[in-house]
Amino acid sequence: MDIDSCTRKAVSSSPSEKIHLRPMTLSDIDDFMVWATDINVTRFCTWEPYTSQEAGIGYINSFVLPHPWLRAICLDDDRAIGSISVTPVDSIRGEIGYVIGSKYWGKGIATEAVRLVAAEIFKEKPEMERLEALVDVDNIGSQKVLEKVGFVREGVMRKFMCLKGNVRDMVMFSFLPSDSLL
Amino acid sequence: MDLNETQPAVVVSSPPGRISLRPMTLSDVDDYMVWATDAEVARFCSWEPCTSREEAIKYITDSVLTHPWLRAICLEDDRPIGYILIMPVDKIRKEIGYVLARKYWGKGFATEAVRLVTAEVFKAMPEVERLEALVDVDNVGSQRVLEKVGFTREGVMRKFIVMKGSVRDMVMFSFLPTDPFK
Repeated sequence: MDIDSCTRKAVSSSPSEKIHLRPMTLSDIDDFMVWATDINVTRFCTWEPYTSQEAGIGYINSFVLPHPWLRAICLDDDRAIGSISVTPVDSIRGEIGYVIGSKYWGKGIATEAVRLVAAEIFKEKPEMERLEALVDVDNIGSQKVLEKVGFVREGVMRKFMCLKGNVRDMVMFSFLPSDSLL
Repeated sequence: MDLNETQPAVVVSSPPGRISLRPMTLSDVDDYMVWATDAEVARFCSWEPCTSREEAIKYITDSVLTHPWLRAICLEDDRPIGYILIMPVDKIRKEIGYVLARKYWGKGFATEAVRLVTAEVFKAMPEVERLEALVDVDNVGSQRVLEKVGFTREGVMRKFIVMKGSVRDMVMFSFLPTDPFK
């Protein structure tokens, strides 16, 4: 399957939560800056809030555009309110990550975005045996998102990752092609 | 910090007389072949059983002697019955691995070796925040070794690693500098 043709399609969600996924572009820069400058949003991210549009443009050029699988999360007006990505860990594992503007938290948007990705990604990447997510122990909101989709909480990996200078315990989640979406 | 340079060559277990750890040399090749040719031993290892002395010499030269941290596990006669090693994962995480000739299974030798090495690693490498081990779900013997030392069984990582062409579920264990030995 040609991944390029898939990237141009918008993937739509079921009626309950009106979001769709589409490729992110430089013209999303203003919307990107809304969540990327928000310290509440970046709290559990490895990166610090962005402070200049120039840096934001640099991020889109150097990270977003070349990324093997990254999508903007959009509402009906097709404006980006966050992003979601699947990054290869090795030949059989992909890691899912997502970020949403804080104004849109608590509405099931991240859950719907993750559900859409979990439903589609194994079709696009048949070599993928495991979709995983690593979530900070304190990031309860994000843990709930994955649980609601049907990811399996495999365990807490103690002192697993360095986040902004601190060594954090991380919860490991996974979703397999044979798992059921909730 | 290279453990090879700063540590004494021999580490003796306590009570003394059970096992000792020392660097491996080419003169260990015949003892090496005892476990390296054994399909039962190789079952959960990434390598296939060794089939010739030449192959063994090549492997010891290329992979064993060059390893950043690898020790022969020896009995009183200073002959190796297996080896134990530490691999860097990243700046704060190391992974432990070990292999023992089948004749010596079930006697607590691996447990002793793991206990010795775990204690040494945190003394010699203060930057290490986490020592981990990944064990095949079916390798119950090795899981017991780690549990007896006091490693924490964090969970089963499903479809985590490709081993000899099969995607395996692996149990993740960890030991932190602050954990007590059993």
